[in-house]
Amino acid sequence: MNKNKIAVYGKGGIGKSTVSANLAAALAETGVRVLQIGCDPKRDSTRLLTGGRRITTVLDYTRVTGHAERRIEDVLFRGRLGVGCVEAGGPKPGVGCAGRGIISAFELLERFGAEADYDAVIYDVLGDVVCGGFAVPIRREYANMIYIVTSGEFMALYAANNILSGIRNYDGDKRRVAGLIFNRRGLEGEDGRVARFAAAVRLPVCAAIPRSGAFARCEAENKTLLEAGYAPAGIFRKLARAINAGVSLYEALPLTEEELEGAVLGLSAPPTAAGILAADAAETDKTRSPGRKDDPGGEMLSLNILNDDPLHGCAFNGAVTMGVHLTDAVVLAHSPRSCAYISYQTISSSGRRGLFERGLLLPNSVSPNLECSFMNENDMIFGGLDKLEAKVLELKKKKPKAIIVVSSCPSGIIGDDVSRVLRHADAGTPVIAVKTDGNLTGDYLQGMLNLYTALARGVIERNVEAIPDAVNIVFEKVVAKNTGANFSVIEGFLRRLGLKVNCRFLCETTFDRLRNFLAAPLNLLASNDYTGRLLQKFFTAEYGCVFLQDGFPVGFDETKTWLFRVADFFGRRAAAADLLREHEAGYRRRMEALRPALQGRKLMIVTYNHNVDWILKAAMDAGMEIVKLGILKFSQDAGFVTKLGTGLNVEENYDGNKREADMRQYGPDVLLTNYNSTDEPASVLTDTIPMCPDVGFYSGLNMVSRWAALLENNLRGEWMDDKRLFDKYYA
Amino acid sequence: MTNITPDSLSGIIFALEGVARATVLLNGPTGCKFYHSAVSDSQTLGRGGLDPLLFPDLWHFGQPRVPCTYLGGRDYVYGSREKLAAALPCLSRQADTDLLCVVNSPGAALIGDDLRAAAEAALPDAPCVTIETPGFSENIFAGYDSAAQALIRQLDCPAQALRPATVNLLGLSVFQRNYRGDLAEMKRLLALCGVEMICALFAGSGLSEIRAMPAAALNIVLQPEYGLAAARLLEEKYGTPYIVRDGPPVGFAATEELMSAVCARLGGDAAAFREESERARARAYSHIARVHALSGLPKGAKFGLEGTYSELYAYTKFLTGYFGMIPESVSVFCPERSEYKAKYTALLDGLGAAAVLNRGLFEAEAELIFASGGSIAALKLRKREFVGVEIALPTLGYIDVLPKANYGVNGALRLTEQVLNGLLF
Repeated sequence: MNKNKIAVYGKGGIGKSTVSANLAAALAETGVRVLQIGCDPKRDSTRLLTGGRRITTVLDYTRVTGHAERRIEDVLFRGRLGVGCVEAGGPKPGVGCAGRGIISAFELLERFGAEADYDAVIYDVLGDVVCGGFAVPIRREYANMIYIVTSGEFMALYAANNILSGIRNYDGDKRRVAGLIFNRRGLEGEDGRVARFAAAVRLPVCAAIPRSGAFARCEAENKTLLEAGYAPAGIFRKLARAINAGVSLYEALPLTEEELEGAVLGLSAPPTAAGILAADAAETDKTRSPGRKDDPGGEMLSLNILNDDPLHGCAFNGAVTMGVHLTDAVVLAHSPRSCAYISYQTISSSGRRGLFERGLLLPNSVSPNLECSFMNENDMIFGGLDKLEAKVLELKKKKPKAIIVVSSCPSGIIGDDVSRVLRHADAGTPVIAVKTDGNLTGDYLQGMLNLYTALARGVIERNVEAIPDAVNIVFEKVVAKNTGANFSVIEGFLRRLGLKVNCRFLCETTFDRLRNFLAAPLNLLASNDYTGRLLQKFFTAEYGCVFLQDGFPVGFDETKTWLFRVADFFGRRAAAADLLREHEAGYRRRMEALRPALQGRKLMIVTYNHNVDWILKAAMDAGMEIVKLGILKFSQDAGFVTKLGTGLNVEENYDGNKREADMRQYGPDVLLTNYNSTDEPASVLTDTIPMCPDVGFYSGLNMVSRWAALLENNLRGEWMDDKRLFDKYYA
Repeated sequence: MTNITPDSLSGIIFALEGVARATVLLNGPTGCKFYHSAVSDSQTLGRGGLDPLLFPDLWHFGQPRVPCTYLGGRDYVYGSREKLAAALPCLSRQADTDLLCVVNSPGAALIGDDLRAAAEAALPDAPCVTIETPGFSENIFAGYDSAAQALIRQLDCPAQALRPATVNLLGLSVFQRNYRGDLAEMKRLLALCGVEMICALFAGSGLSEIRAMPAAALNIVLQPEYGLAAARLLEEKYGTPYIVRDGPPVGFAATEELMSAVCARLGGDAAAFREESERARARAYSHIARVHALSGLPKGAKFGLEGTYSELYAYTKFLTGYFGMIPESVSVFCPERSEYKAKYTALLDGLGAAAVLNRGLFEAEAELIFASGGSIAALKLRKREFVGVEIALPTLGYIDVLPKANYGVNGALRLTEQVLNGLLF
């Protein structure tokens, strides 16, 4: 005989637990071994079977009991008539995630094999199917028969219809619904409403329970109707006999809202939630003063969010990756191990390679100052803030300069409010909460922006003594391989101009340098892409900061312009002129030497970079012809820019699939892309354009020099011809 | 070293990524997939193309592996069913996909979507493995166990006759530093004994080999923390016996003992293997003897070690027993997996080195440190003077074109090479 596994659903307070307990008792009377599992955090499903005794819930038990010590007998109790009683339990109202609790409890009961010794199982489930967690019992592997308890009240019938929708989502046209159990409330017209609803959804009313004082007396006595000997008990005995005999099952056929309200409930004009579903905008409340727009980051929104594109990376990772660059602070991830581990590895991979390839030891990359609250399954169910606060207090004992708390998807989903940790801030240890909630607030860049603004507002002092010969550097791309080398070049230029770096925002800097940010009269943007420009806007608007209008210079012309602009700001033009003289003649001489190899050669570029003037200018200086420039869409920048005039053959939002055709049409000698392919014809020299190019006079020159050497010697690399062998042996 | 050690989700994904021609769909945000795709790709032979334009579909986000459903805030409210319904058929149609696996991210696990139902609806006739709970803050081995349980329980294996002198290899993972070399070495040594490998679970075998696992006469567990749970399940489900030692086959003696035991169980002939091992020992002897002649080393050289208890046992036994080196410091990776702690403690006691367990790598001054690239880098940052030998991921960055082994005879030779080159003499 197949085991009857019965889920009892219905609106909160409709009497599911009473029905479940009486049905369990009635089945048990017939000799069936019954297990009742209460799936409500209120944990009172089995009370009538246990004589009012509150039993240990599965979730309370697992919260305090290690894996190895867990035993089924600690949470499975024997109730009246031998009915097995289990309560899943759950968090207190307002914290954690009760739905996840149901998932966890069912997984544990499955591992225990809790149902093995029973002929029938009854799942008594909380209220409506509000989320996937509460739908767990109606998954096919658990319940094979579903009863919906309803009264004739409107809201009970709405809930019943919603439950049918939930079942429909899981089952499609499969048949698993046994019918309705009508628990009368004694309302006018309710018999008719329930009958119409049953007919409309094509389900039988399997039992109609009269309104009776017997139920209240049983509640008071902590007994089932059967045990107390009250008359309505016969209804449950009849239902149990029907179940034992085998009941017909039906597919879930939920009604549309209009069908339910019109034909069943008899409402003539379905109410519409004002301002949400109203088709006529005139119905919205115009008497209110204009409200705030949905603008979670102020104007600091990443392009991903503005464009409503799929999120690229997560805000948590963006914030953590930038946060560890405040080297004497500690970043505390309020997250499971998974999130912190992924971020840790993302950050440290560049540090390991730097050590391996060049012997560089970058502390915050090799060993980032990242800690974690290690949210576990219990924290997901009961909330993780207590653990987070305990971790903050533990970290404070180590006396970091600041504690930066960043929240993850799970903590955001269960509603943990990380701002609670702010109460632990004091003069010795500022605590800064960055509510990224994983990717709930956005992508990687959004996380960077959230972190940047939170740190600036939390740390920067407004009244500091000016340092007249200092600059700040803002928005270095910290995960690029050449971040350190580029900084060294810029620092060298600044030194020649008699200037020093006050604060790198935010790259390998300290709490005190950040606090002193406003001491520098000029700010240099490292990358003046979309995000860099947002930061510039932020610092200008919020602190009145002055920025140089260019990013770090790449290529000869840009470097020359940049140097003079910095020098002019500080009145040191002569020093810049000296520097230029040292480099200009050498640059021209080297470029001239390349012309025989590159003059008239055709260059085609397909790239995500939105500013490639540095390489275009170098190619032009070497006499090359730019035949095509395909600019691919890139989530981190907004729009191609060039100062080289309008004569270029530029195609923005370039479709990568066109590359082959364009190659045939334009016949380039050199193809420059961000990712090289081995599929290009042997006659074409392919090279890679870096996403973050080297800064300084020689970036473009160094690249075209490589092309000249390769073209002169006709060197392609025989290995490229072995792709066919890879396909033969490994593909 | 750091307490942010590999997690359960990574254990699941790296396990399933080790199935040939499997696609692991992460039901979660893109932020959870980039790292796993990068590591999986670097640990396997790929076509080499990394241009995002080669992966233009909605799910790969420019990477060759671990597509994802890019869940965002709306999906956490309304569920991921629609995205799964869109992704699964497309991914299933990819030419190189025999098996689809769907794994929830930690966030997705909270909303309770029924992955099995979604998979059955989208792919009624295709094999699909689903894992809804990724383990949150559990360790990598817990995730690997979950993947093994899901794969073995959810895939139907046809009834088949037992094939004599055949084995499955358990306890390998793409997250092991040299898993390709270890697999090749174990296959080579088994072949010398006349034993055929049917399947290397989660280490390069595909769906058909996995379905043929019940035909094996014996399962060999190489690293117990990874493979023991799968071995027990396979014994329970198919009656296949298994063999497991106190640690992986690191060093000559451990390898010889394992292969002898396998041959004894299966009636294999270990003669050719023994000769191979003897020749390797002879080669190692020649090199070690020269170093020893000049310096008395490697005897007495101090080493530090990072690993699970079973790895610590295996490496310590080899380094002390074979070279006569002295254990100086130890960092236990994933100490909660303590099944082999007693064995390791007994080994240290026998060596008179019980105090080593209380001396972490950061506190010590060993000459040679066997650890992950991450820990080696962290120690370098502290200005420690030592030679690091990578035995675990993450790597410092060395690209192994020629697969190296940690296990078996070739593994013993490689470690000998590392020891000799790491000594100051």
